[in-house]
Amino acid sequence: MKLLHKSLAALAAATLTLTLAACGGGGEAADANTVEFWYYQPTPEQAQKVQALVDEFEDANSGISIKLVEIPKADYNTKLASAMAGDRGPDAGYLDQPQMARFADADQIVEVPAGTIDDADFYEGALQTNMVDGKLYGVPLQQTTVVLFYNTDLVSTPPKTWDELVAVSEDVNNENPDVAGVAVPKGDGFGAWMYPGFVASAGGTMLDEKNKKVTFADVPAEEALDLWHTLLESSPREITNSDLPFQKGLAAMMFSGPWDIVGIREQFPQLKFDVALMPMKETEASTIGGDNGVVFSGADNEDAAFKWLQFLSDETHNAEFADITGNFPTNIAAAEASTLADDPQIQVVLQQLETAHARPAVADWIQINDEYIARAIEAAVDGDTPPADALDEAAERAAKLLGWS
Amino acid sequence: MQNTDTIVLDELPTATKPPTGARRRRASRSDAPRNRRNGAPAALQVVAYVVLTLGALAALTPFIWMVATSFKEPQDVFTRTPSLLPLDSQTGAWAGTLDNFREVLGLGGFTTAMINSVIVVFVLVPGKLLLDALAAYAFARIEFPGRDILFMVILATMMVPGVALLIPKVFITQELGMGDSLSGIIVPNLIAAFDIFLLRQFFLTIPKELEEAAMLDGASRMRIFWSVALPLAKPALAVVTITSFIYHWNDLLWPLVILSDQDKYTLPLALQALVSGRVAQPHLVMAGAVVAVMPVIAIFLIFQRKILDGIAMTGLKG
Amino acid sequence: MTTTAQTPASGTSQGARREGDTLTAYLFVAPAMLHTLIFMLVPAGAALYFSFTEWDMISPARWVGLANYQEVLFNGDVYPDFWKSVQVTALYVVLSVPASLLTGFVTAYLIDTVRRGESFYRLAFYLPVVTAEAAVGAVWLWLYDPQFGLVNQALGVIGLEGKDWLGTPSTVVPALALIAAWQSGTCMLIFLAGLKGIPSVYYEASEVDGAGAAQRLWRITLPLLRPTTFFLTVTGLISALQVFGLVYVLFSGSPGPEGSGLTYVLHLYLAGFRNGSMGAASAMSFLLFVAILLITAVQFRLMPRDFED
Repeated sequence: MKLLHKSLAALAAATLTLTLAACGGGGEAADANTVEFWYYQPTPEQAQKVQALVDEFEDANSGISIKLVEIPKADYNTKLASAMAGDRGPDAGYLDQPQMARFADADQIVEVPAGTIDDADFYEGALQTNMVDGKLYGVPLQQTTVVLFYNTDLVSTPPKTWDELVAVSEDVNNENPDVAGVAVPKGDGFGAWMYPGFVASAGGTMLDEKNKKVTFADVPAEEALDLWHTLLESSPREITNSDLPFQKGLAAMMFSGPWDIVGIREQFPQLKFDVALMPMKETEASTIGGDNGVVFSGADNEDAAFKWLQFLSDETHNAEFADITGNFPTNIAAAEASTLADDPQIQVVLQQLETAHARPAVADWIQINDEYIARAIEAAVDGDTPPADALDEAAERAAKLLGWS
Repeated sequence: MQNTDTIVLDELPTATKPPTGARRRRASRSDAPRNRRNGAPAALQVVAYVVLTLGALAALTPFIWMVATSFKEPQDVFTRTPSLLPLDSQTGAWAGTLDNFREVLGLGGFTTAMINSVIVVFVLVPGKLLLDALAAYAFARIEFPGRDILFMVILATMMVPGVALLIPKVFITQELGMGDSLSGIIVPNLIAAFDIFLLRQFFLTIPKELEEAAMLDGASRMRIFWSVALPLAKPALAVVTITSFIYHWNDLLWPLVILSDQDKYTLPLALQALVSGRVAQPHLVMAGAVVAVMPVIAIFLIFQRKILDGIAMTGLKG
Repeated sequence: MTTTAQTPASGTSQGARREGDTLTAYLFVAPAMLHTLIFMLVPAGAALYFSFTEWDMISPARWVGLANYQEVLFNGDVYPDFWKSVQVTALYVVLSVPASLLTGFVTAYLIDTVRRGESFYRLAFYLPVVTAEAAVGAVWLWLYDPQFGLVNQALGVIGLEGKDWLGTPSTVVPALALIAAWQSGTCMLIFLAGLKGIPSVYYEASEVDGAGAAQRLWRITLPLLRPTTFFLTVTGLISALQVFGLVYVLFSGSPGPEGSGLTYVLHLYLAGFRNGSMGAASAMSFLLFVAILLITAVQFRLMPRDFED
């Protein structure tokens, strides 16, 4: 890279002198007191709130200034990658949870200095997403999870266990064959993201990082796929493949996140629905998503950057900051004090967050999730492959990719 | 295929002798009304209208839906069958609103972004038109050592997926001091292989006699390019203008990786703020899309005329 | 390379050749070549280099020789979907390129035929190109909806059973090709520009001969449109082989049921930007580049032979 870097630069410089002799030099002078912070571009009103947080922070920490850079969420990783490849990355910014291990392994993010945050202040799942090889590499800023949504016209009591879930789904579909029991997750990235929550509920895990063992082909993982496969019998895809089946009353239940609570209220005001904790097998569990705040290795002023992350995650400011992205506070006290707790449906989500599980912290997790597990889900749920076979194949591939035996 | 067997790619249409019996006078014996140019009979006209009207309906539906949605309240957007009018999803009554447009136009930095986008396309499109046409003309009309190799190199650049070139391209743009600036959007896009190829194909079809006549008059190559070739290539230039304008007006990825300073954001980047809420907001997205598409349609309506006008200037009409 | 390069060149040599032309020509192509060098060839060189490395974009690239190429092509454990993506793309190209060209030509020809409303039709058929991608995605999702979709309703009218078009692996690519045909506005525009460029004398002359509309189409219009058709075939193939945006919108970045929408460039993009294997993604890019180069070379070779019969 360095060599190429140099030869590229030399070539570019040569052509530069040939063509654009009078072009102004680029790059601003690095300012040790400015923290460039990258985050997802919010809506205009919310951008103002972030600016207000910045003002408050700068008032309290004279000498530090925060430069916000707002980047559309869908292209955040692309932009980050292209900036880092040219050594022009930010000082601090968001990092998607499953990216943590990759950036930590590559020494591109800085370990959080002891004493920056108190672990006990945070939701366990959210905090765990910052741990790579037992070390803390980031500060949880906001999080989300999935819960059970049910149509109250079709389901009177939400199922609490997997068995009840199957029974309710069958009842609904028997009552009216044009309505699916539940919108069963698919073998795509989203379904594979939800899947570890089901595995955890059956008492299993995805990877055993300490002993370098792939565990997502064990019995609990098979049971989770069995559940989805069984649900499909009372929840035909011809119905649920229709656009927004739950919202349009075609599916009586779905697993989804808090964004749909807000979305349904706004866009489907006639739909009568409620949310409940995810049905469980052995134990309460769900899956976790969200973003962490990290300080990048090239930061001009690491201390100032960590102060800013500390500020965003503390009891007073975390709820407001998390709300800006439409996700939830990671700071328990902040969550409990926020107005979110007054909303009974949101309350369910907060409760579910307590049992939300972090994804495995290995650099290749995204590929394992999107390509191997997603494919196994598809083969076992929609296809006729026995779950054990599908998962074994995925686990074998994952072990090879990870270099585990 | 008699009469046309002499056609080769590069010699159109001069090498083609007009079909036997060509005479430079208007045919007056046609009794049925015919298309003035391609001579299609009246019956075909009827078929054409029917097919075109049905096709236009299919082509327009998503556009109409986009416009209708931009006037809808959020709760009226998702209906079992898309409604092509902003109607109340429950009562079916008219429920159009201008709120979405108020929100889009009130977007922080909207005006700045609009101005930036205008600057980009108004510098970029004419600039690339000229540079692409110069190269295309040389490739089509002048013989020089290395021409074929150079042309193949240009063509070959279309064949590497842009995704793989993104990062090195960003790096070079930044090394050239154009990172985080509008010139960083304009300069790297000044040459497009697609356009050079398209224009070359058109220059190839221009009768050589016209150039030779100008040469006998002592005109320079530049003069011939400017006064003979370019006017004759107007239809193709119009196509390049329209497609380039649309592409760069809507381009999100390149400005996104080049720009960090919000004061330099172009329209598509600014409009992204509308989708960044916690919930998908199709009514706002569509309002933003409608605002963004207006200049595109205006440009299209202006330049599509050129496609028609172009032919009038060839001097070949009977 | 050499044979392909000869073909487009032959023919222009006679006639217009003058002293000083060489210098002028170099001046004319200089900006384009210099720009291509800086913004295409140097990045392409860099990407070629990266294809021989293990590179995640955030840490230094590590030289691995041909390992990426070998893994991509032959290691089904690491890239189980590579050949699948080749198949998907090949099928897409075979269906969508002819569909787009045909639709583009027919609409252009008919628009050129009608006496009134030409402007309206041109705009109407071009609008799919300018309609926001999100709107295109949303409306086609509805058209193909297994429950309420217009496509199934239309099939119901003629007594055929509906399908879950985007949910059934075998119908995904044909469904995509139909959308591509629907978006053939640029094709239409370029054909139209070509049609307008045909000198009227040819038509007038044939009219004197008493040739019918079909004969004119066969004997004048189509042959004279060959440079245009050739251009659209070459560029259409190149862009169809790189299809990406449409699938990305319809399946929100996932590869569709059983990977049936996993086009080559989507696979490459996911490998590079989502999984952080930019080295392998670069290798995939160059494999595609070589494939496209060969296909284009064949096209350049076949074209003149086609003219000879």
